[in-house]
Amino acid sequence: MIERWALVSGLKGDLDTYELIQKDLKKTPGNITLFVLGDMIGPEKNCNRLLHRLINPKSNDLQPWCIYGWWEEQILLESGYRGDQRAEALRINKGEEVVKSLTNAVDKSFLEWIAALQFGFVELDCGLIHGSSKDIGENLTLDTPPLTLLDRLTRLQVNRLFTARSKQQFHLELTEGTVNSEVEDLNGNRKKEQKVPQKAVIGIGAGKNYTLYDVGTDNTQFVQAGYKSEKRIKGFGRL
Amino acid sequence: MNQAVISCLHANLPAVEAVLKDIELQGITNITCLGDLVGYGPQPNEVIELIRDKKIPTCQGCWDEDVVDGLDACDCSYPSQLAEKRGHFAHQWTTDKLTKENKDYLANLPYSIRKDKCLFVHGSPNSQHEYLLPDMDAFAALERVENARAEILFCGHTHQPYIRELADGSIAVKIKNAAPKDIQEKEIQLPMRRIVNAGSVGEPRHGGTKATYVVHNEFTNEVKIREVEYDLELTCKAIIDAGLPPIFAWRLKNGFEFAEQAEDASHVCER
Repeated sequence: MIERWALVSGLKGDLDTYELIQKDLKKTPGNITLFVLGDMIGPEKNCNRLLHRLINPKSNDLQPWCIYGWWEEQILLESGYRGDQRAEALRINKGEEVVKSLTNAVDKSFLEWIAALQFGFVELDCGLIHGSSKDIGENLTLDTPPLTLLDRLTRLQVNRLFTARSKQQFHLELTEGTVNSEVEDLNGNRKKEQKVPQKAVIGIGAGKNYTLYDVGTDNTQFVQAGYKSEKRIKGFGRL
Repeated sequence: MNQAVISCLHANLPAVEAVLKDIELQGITNITCLGDLVGYGPQPNEVIELIRDKKIPTCQGCWDEDVVDGLDACDCSYPSQLAEKRGHFAHQWTTDKLTKENKDYLANLPYSIRKDKCLFVHGSPNSQHEYLLPDMDAFAALERVENARAEILFCGHTHQPYIRELADGSIAVKIKNAAPKDIQEKEIQLPMRRIVNAGSVGEPRHGGTKATYVVHNEFTNEVKIREVEYDLELTCKAIIDAGLPPIFAWRLKNGFEFAEQAEDASHVCER
């Protein structure tokens, strides 16, 4: 059976969208694993019902595998889970009201669960994270310099990096590359040519926009919950 | 015009004095220090006061930071748990020994110093604790220099002096799974960049006993690694007299790269 990953992020308390995605996935062929790459919470709406559903899936739900995202990091900071630090970046950029809205949107009983979430998953040769391997708040996009993308892949020692922070959907392959290195030290000189193996960075989208990844073929499908897949197909093929 | 870059002085006064003398003999007045003025060695106050007296611009090293802020790094770089214990002992000894004025000086050192195309840091532009080893992934090394918007990155921390040139680089990219009009393939040329590691004045780990530093000619861009002999016996005696672990003196005297490597090779840090 085809193995597929469904990669979701940026639900920000939106249980309706989550249910729509669950409904979509039930109709998607293959053996599906659902990953939620952070930002399950946000300041805009009460997140308790969604969090409860993620922790206690319905019997016919796909089990969600969650990691924490930028908004989870903010509430953990603000709630004292990161030592003396507080959510100062959020406070400075969005104001005190948003900090309050965020803490009001999540019942304190969920904080332990959020605090126990991982920074990311490494599955096969793929890294699944919210931002980047350098920073949970880093936006990786099509405009990010390839040297930076390669570094973020190298830090996790993976060949595919799935990222959500930018909210964008894209599949960028690093097809080849080379650099010459010459080192001079007290033992003399040595030269080396280093090549880039084929690697990719995939933006999975946010909210209703999510990504299906076919593990066997390395193909991505960009999907909007409730609508047809946006994968481009030649001829008259159907998904 | 030549500039000298020194790093990792580690409270070894005879070595610092010898290196500064060597720099002076070459007529170089432009000196930058990459931090780690203290740690391991027996004369932390004396070394700080010498650097302050000479008004040498200095960035904060990992030991300088730890003495001020407390130990906050994993310290996985220690080759064994025993070595880590000795490191922590030296940390406490140094903290107790330093005057308040010298602690304040260390606390206020900048993380980096920028001079035109040159960036000076202790470990890497990311962290005082990150090691830029001479054979690390070439693209990752290039990323450290390029994202720091520098042409030459001067660093220390490894205690191994080297000059690394990264050139003729390129990366080809392709946008997949997009509308036909958006599908693009392009090749990005990477700039030529250099990483210069100044080695260590006070605790060399290059296999020899000599202190090292580098001289950079700002016009020709030529970089030379300098090795300087100093009164090793004096430092070793001061280490013993101060009550610091004798192994610190032993490894200095023998020029061992990793004096304690074999004691607990099984150490795997899980923090």
